[in-house]
Amino acid sequence: MTDTRRLVTLGLFVAIAGVLHAVEAWLPLPVPVPGVKLGLANIVSLAVIDLYGWREALVVAAARVVLGSLLGGAFLGPSFALGISGAAASTLAMAYAHSRWRPSLSLVGVSVLGAAVHNIAQITAAALLVASAAVFWYLPYLLLFALPTGLATGFTAAYFLAKLSRAGG
Amino acid sequence: MRLTRADKWLIGILLAAAAGGIGLNLALLSTTGAQEARVYREGKLVRSIRLRAGYHEELRLGGAERYNLVVADNGRVKIAAADCPDQLCVRTGWVSVAPQQIVCLPNRVVVKIVSTEPPDVDDITK
Repeated sequence: MTDTRRLVTLGLFVAIAGVLHAVEAWLPLPVPVPGVKLGLANIVSLAVIDLYGWREALVVAAARVVLGSLLGGAFLGPSFALGISGAAASTLAMAYAHSRWRPSLSLVGVSVLGAAVHNIAQITAAALLVASAAVFWYLPYLLLFALPTGLATGFTAAYFLAKLSRAGG
Repeated sequence: MRLTRADKWLIGILLAAAAGGIGLNLALLSTTGAQEARVYREGKLVRSIRLRAGYHEELRLGGAERYNLVVADNGRVKIAAADCPDQLCVRTGWVSVAPQQIVCLPNRVVVKIVSTEPPDVDDITK
């Protein structure tokens, strides 16, 4: 793949992930726990890890959080700090699991792991922000919601990648 | 796309961790002892409010900007108003039993309910 093509494809992934990140913030989930999200941008992170590698995935994830928070008007605010720490930690964890623990762990398993790591990183960042360990009280509830959202994004990414390879991309 | 055995193990471990954590939360939740709301701003304890029936107190944190209005009333506490953009603290509503809490990340405010008496099983045998 030429450099130009690579650049354009990664740029497209950043755009898709940024929009997913921003749109997700508009969707209120009927859940009484603050901070529960679908993690739609996770689909893009998984795809980039699978197609390119961890460096590209990390760059796309960081660019996505910057772009998404600019669109959502939360740039450099506390939710930006939470977003960037969650995105970086989960991308690195997923990339590691993708390269080391497959095929015994499937893409869906990698996604579930990423969702869980995302929540742990965000709670840690939140605890540092408010200088109180009490927010860890939320972690079990967040982990519980990480299961269905991680499964959903994992299956979506797997479906997308299967379609992509059949299309010859 | 089928789940592998490792996937199922991972899901099982996460479920067990979540269930264990929630169980621990519920076990620590004490409805009998006296409850106190501890109000923290930027990690520092601002005030402890005893939560009693019929007791009302309003506490304003911050200045004209970055403010939170904490209201304790009749054994419950909530953040009635704040100027943070997400309003998550206001939407959390009333909390009344430990270890419930209200968190306002933008203003770095935590209102934490603590039980001033430990959930003492030995009460019965005393």
